[in-house]
Amino acid sequence: MIRVLAVDDDQALLRALRIGLGALGYEVTVASTGERGVAQAAVEAPDVVVLDLGLPDLDGMEVCRRIRQWSDVPVIVLSADGTEDRKIAALDGGADDYMTKPFGMGELEARLRVALRHRAAEVDGEAAKHVTVGPLELDLVHHEARMDGRLVELTTREFALLAYLARHAGKTCTHRMILEHVWGPHYDTETQYLRVYAYRLRKKLGDEDGSFLRTHPGIGYQLVADRP
Amino acid sequence: MSTFRRGVIGSVVALGVMAVLVAVMVPLRSHLAVATTALVLVIPVVTGVVVGGLPAGLFAVVAGFLVYDLLFIPPYDTLTVGAAQNWVALAVYVAVMLLVASVVARLEVTRGDAHQREQAIRRLFELTDVLIEDRPLAEVLELIVSTVHDAFRSRSVALMLPVGPRLEIVASAGDPLSESEQRAVIPPPGVPASLGSAGRDGIHTVALSATGRPIGLLRIWSATLSSHDQALLRTFANHMALALERAQLREQALRTELLEEVDRLQRALLRAVSHDLRTPLATIKMSATTLRDRAVELAPDQRSELLELIDDQADRLDRLVANLLDVSRVQAGALELRHEAIALVDVVGEATRGLGHALDGTEVRLDVDDDLPLVDVDHLLIGQVFGNLIGNAARYAPPGTAVTVSARPAGDGVVRVAVSDEGPGVPRSERADVFLLFNRTATGGGTGVGLSIARAFLAAHGQEIWIEDAPGGGASFCFTLPVAEVAEVAETAEVVR
Repeated sequence: MIRVLAVDDDQALLRALRIGLGALGYEVTVASTGERGVAQAAVEAPDVVVLDLGLPDLDGMEVCRRIRQWSDVPVIVLSADGTEDRKIAALDGGADDYMTKPFGMGELEARLRVALRHRAAEVDGEAAKHVTVGPLELDLVHHEARMDGRLVELTTREFALLAYLARHAGKTCTHRMILEHVWGPHYDTETQYLRVYAYRLRKKLGDEDGSFLRTHPGIGYQLVADRP
Repeated sequence: MSTFRRGVIGSVVALGVMAVLVAVMVPLRSHLAVATTALVLVIPVVTGVVVGGLPAGLFAVVAGFLVYDLLFIPPYDTLTVGAAQNWVALAVYVAVMLLVASVVARLEVTRGDAHQREQAIRRLFELTDVLIEDRPLAEVLELIVSTVHDAFRSRSVALMLPVGPRLEIVASAGDPLSESEQRAVIPPPGVPASLGSAGRDGIHTVALSATGRPIGLLRIWSATLSSHDQALLRTFANHMALALERAQLREQALRTELLEEVDRLQRALLRAVSHDLRTPLATIKMSATTLRDRAVELAPDQRSELLELIDDQADRLDRLVANLLDVSRVQAGALELRHEAIALVDVVGEATRGLGHALDGTEVRLDVDDDLPLVDVDHLLIGQVFGNLIGNAARYAPPGTAVTVSARPAGDGVVRVAVSDEGPGVPRSERADVFLLFNRTATGGGTGVGLSIARAFLAAHGQEIWIEDAPGGGASFCFTLPVAEVAEVAETAEVVR
């Protein structure tokens, strides 16, 4: 059984989460303060953490940072104020995904599945030679990309960008994360590079509508692992 | 001091000095040479010029001539001169005296001018000193016109600054300008204004410009503005322009700061409201989607718990909306009190029931004596004060702890009420802020709407609310309520109980 730790200061929300996720077959434990959240994450070793950013004692970001010091458990952050900068800060700070309240149980479950699979892929594929995301296959050794079996011609930088997103498939990567890893540490504000490369990649992958390489305006990009 | 008065005083002084000298010299006149007497008689003339100017000097010359001729040139006591050499002495005396009087008078005039100019420069320097200080624009404008008016002894001074597309007089000093004068001095838009001195009225126009940018125009009505004064004025025009520009920039900066603050508050408000609206919505949405999902199997008690959650959270949303509406009512000043004598325990009981499941896991204890007097308040408003305070206490206190409502008569016709919890308490530094609208303290998480409403409703009753340390370490929200009239107590107590 997959164990979920939910950290939120709203008792009603915790009860709804516990029943909803419980009925879907998850084992749910809850914490209503940041301190307790960090402690329970250590003791219970959950498979995934659902973390509210607006906690009474510790900032949600701080909770995420503390958990990241010793664990790479997937963290999905919840935010109620809907401001972009908080989401970006959370993702940059090590969160795997973010959701804005309110959301349906179906959406939460989908995000949980993506986060879990992504983590599983990362665990056994840190040094993988091949990455497959939906219709996309990447040969990281020979720098070859195939979309639906068809070879796609990519420049080195385009391939590096695609490979980074593919290794984090399903996860929303912020502009800063992508720029730092693909272009280098001094390029973390050059978001216009990203717009250009995303446009070129979509053309070459036949993904003009952006349903595979998805844009999160103001936040970053995501390679969608399981398109409907 | 008028010129005429000065002349009279000078003449009198000259006569006085002359009288003294004559009194000393007349007994000795047979021993004195005619020329020596003439030299001594220079003294009253010079004194007259210095004190009274040229007219007094001329008067002293005439008086000196008569005195010299009558008393010191033999034959004495007649205007007859006698010896030819005495004629020469008398003529030389008069000629020299006239020259001395005019030279000394001119020196005096120059000295007076220099003094006046020095005064003007000093005033202007003082002005620059003052202008360096950080002062509001209106003050700087007033200072400039009054200083220029004093320093140049003008009739009027007007300072014009661009307001929209045209210049307008923003400050003036001296004689007030008539409306037609005002219209006449303001150059029409798009037409270059001529600088320098113009017109028979002696209007002088100086442009104020800073770093090449035109700031405004300064117009001075003065008939006596010398070219030196004008040069001085032009120099100081630059200082004034810089000071004006700085004052304008300062006002702009202040305005920008204010706008930023308003913007920050609005964003905080939006964030707080969206947080408080979305949190109950999240529970409702999550519960509803779980209930709708046919693939999910729910036990009957789970199903009813989800329905209950939806119900409770809808109530919570309703309370928030009601509070937000109350905020606008309070802000619009549309709060009308309906006073009645009621028992405190009843209000608290109703408020507690109204909170329903928001109090889950929290016990509300009443610590009130049976003989507590009735209070004279608006039932609904005070009910909401209790609802907000108890709800707030329950939210921040750990589950399983108690919220205690205590009330005691406190003299002066008031009952002192305290709503205490066993939570983390409120740090002293934050106590004043928690009642501010849309304040979210670090220990909070709510919008602060509830507490600000509580304070506003109590203020409407003329009462105050404050925070103390609760005996158990939590926060204690204390406030006072007015006791109902004694006669009413006896009557209504029966009805209420």
